Amino acid sequence: MALATLPSRDPAARARLVEVHGRTRPLVLARARTLTVPGPLRPLLPELVRGSVVVVDGAAGTGATTAALSLCAAATAAGEWAAVIDLDGTLGGEAGAAAGVALERFAVARRVPPDRWATAVAVLLDGVSVVMAEVPRHARAGDAHRLVARARERGTVLVPLAGPRNPWPATATTRVHVEGGPWPGLDTGSGLLADRTPTVRVVAGTRERVGVLAG
Amino acid sequence: MSSPAERTLCVWCPDWPVTVARRGDPTLVDQPVAVVERGAHGLVVRAASGDARREGVRRGLRRREAEACCPGLAVLEADPAAEARAFETVARVVEAVTPGLVLERPGVLTFPTRGPARYFGGDEGLCRRVDAALAEADLVVARIGIADGTFGAQLAARRAARGAALVVPPGATPAFLGDWPVEVLDDADELPLLLSRLGLPRLGAFAALPSAAVLARFGPAGARAHRRARGLDEHPARPVPVPPELVETCELDPPATRVDEAAFAAKGLADRLFDRLAALGLTCIQVVVEAETEHGERLARRWRHEHALTPGALATRVRWQLDGWLTGDGGTGEEDDATAGITLVRLRPDQVVPATGRQLGFWGGDAAAGDRADRALVRLQAVAGPGSVVTVAPCGGRLPSERVRWVPWGEARDDPAGPEAPSWPGAVPGPPPARVYEPRLAVSLLGADGEPVTVSGRGEASAAPARLVGDALGDAEVVAWGGPWPQDVRWWDRVCRRRGSLWHVVARTPATDVACLVVVEAGQAGIEAIYD
Repeated sequence: MALATLPSRDPAARARLVEVHGRTRPLVLARARTLTVPGPLRPLLPELVRGSVVVVDGAAGTGATTAALSLCAAATAAGEWAAVIDLDGTLGGEAGAAAGVALERFAVARRVPPDRWATAVAVLLDGVSVVMAEVPRHARAGDAHRLVARARERGTVLVPLAGPRNPWPATATTRVHVEGGPWPGLDTGSGLLADRTPTVRVVAGTRERVGVLAG
Repeated sequence: MSSPAERTLCVWCPDWPVTVARRGDPTLVDQPVAVVERGAHGLVVRAASGDARREGVRRGLRRREAEACCPGLAVLEADPAAEARAFETVARVVEAVTPGLVLERPGVLTFPTRGPARYFGGDEGLCRRVDAALAEADLVVARIGIADGTFGAQLAARRAARGAALVVPPGATPAFLGDWPVEVLDDADELPLLLSRLGLPRLGAFAALPSAAVLARFGPAGARAHRRARGLDEHPARPVPVPPELVETCELDPPATRVDEAAFAAKGLADRLFDRLAALGLTCIQVVVEAETEHGERLARRWRHEHALTPGALATRVRWQLDGWLTGDGGTGEEDDATAGITLVRLRPDQVVPATGRQLGFWGGDAAAGDRADRALVRLQAVAGPGSVVTVAPCGGRLPSERVRWVPWGEARDDPAGPEAPSWPGAVPGPPPARVYEPRLAVSLLGADGEPVTVSGRGEASAAPARLVGDALGDAEVVAWGGPWPQDVRWWDRVCRRRGSLWHVVARTPATDVACLVVVEAGQAGIEAIYD
């Protein structure tokens, strides 16, 4: 129903129409279609909607990988499976455990050749609940659009991990920009590295939320 | 009404894991030995040598209890692949007597006696012939038993004395079975425990119950155990004749010289075979695995499993069979071993029965999700290669790259016992890094004067690091740093000794501050990990 084309001079009629629209929408329990995000990202991004695409964007060293891993933890915390496509085999396994991922429901595909990347992501979208995929450089827009459609059809959350040199060429439901921050704890020659609190900007549609992740 | 089970001969090598362990390590011959495997609650004893058994070590005992009974006990982990390889020699010896042998598991093999008994002049003659063949091959530990049905034959072999076979007359098997305690049913569902608590300590008492009542109370698994206790065939229906098109073949080109490749192909075959059988409502209890090499050598073995075979169990058995053949560890002489790569693997179901189904979890939940993920990951292995799809198994270590083990999908991972692994002395402090580089990214860690920072033998840095220069981060200024933490790995080994130092460095790049773990070894600095 194109509500925007109605004459805006009659607010009462418009309000009645909105109410009828609300009553006749098919009712799907929102609870069944979302995954709760655990950990420090929760105040900014409380839930992942199944079938959506959440792009985690950040340069190397900003904390983007850890943020993406906490999205994978959302799936394993609910008893489901998560998988990661790691293009150059550099993912640290222990960091997954520290981000809250249950390692017995977590799989990593290491050193996938770039020409097989789209096939590999498509295969994983069929089987697990959250797929975190590093975007290769020069990823094709056609492949990316097909993967978005497949994720929506299967109800899997796709989390592409992009960066300034490898952007995600298709649409996304939510974009999480991780901007990094200072590292506390280390001084010149003394101290130990403590957990950092990176600045994160979550953009979903027109809403934008900026915050600092608690350590 | 079902016919009584056919006469079967069973060759049983008692404590086969112990025999294999002793063969592999001759120093263990004088010591009491126990072989343990991972059970539901830690390590339990699977087999014990004679002297260990005299001290009180029994099958099913926990490892600590076994060590408490018998001080000086040598405890070894079970190695099913080595046991299967070594059992291949026994299989070849018995194959000379009859071709129809069926391998149950390493240590036990059976075959129907109808043909060979007539040829060798009765059951006694057959036993003497098999005994002579085994003695020739120096396998005097084996015991032989004949009874109706494989279950009865296995128990008869257990009661047989060394060198003399036990022959249970035809039709006397139910009476023979009646004396045995219910623990011999060896059921995975704890049926024996339940039966003994219900006041049925002997198989005779269990067999006396009406079968309909047993089926109602204990389900299909209990009904199968009941049939075994009565001395009948485990599956009531006559084995369904196998449709000829159910054979699964895989031709390997180029030929597989490593067991892994052939086993991976066989796993795909096993999955396909079981899917097709499931579509027909059947499951198979006996499978013939045939393998052929480039030079035309063939090896065919019939495998049977007590409960129905699953694709994973079948793939494991194929791996055992090919392992012994390809590596030539069989021991009986080189003319039987494979001399070239494997070109063909064929799976032929030998005995199929109607499937009684598998009870899924009530809410579908974990098991269904796990199956879906398993199928997707196996397909991904086909796309990206079997070694690419891995799971994370944390183990102890100092550097981040040493603290995880990447276990390929499909292989067993031993999860560490307990929720928290104890801390590893010498481990890098701080949160675990998200990016670990192996091999390290080459960088230069420079002091304020532009010279590389070195660490003396006493652990003192030559200068404070001021710049981190390399391809990964460009020319970055060091804002904060920690260390150096000297490392001297394997100092006792002149060849493998590695000395270096660890640094925590926070470098400022145009985007953000990047914290990394830098290792300086032999004058060369490298980024081991980035805390992303």
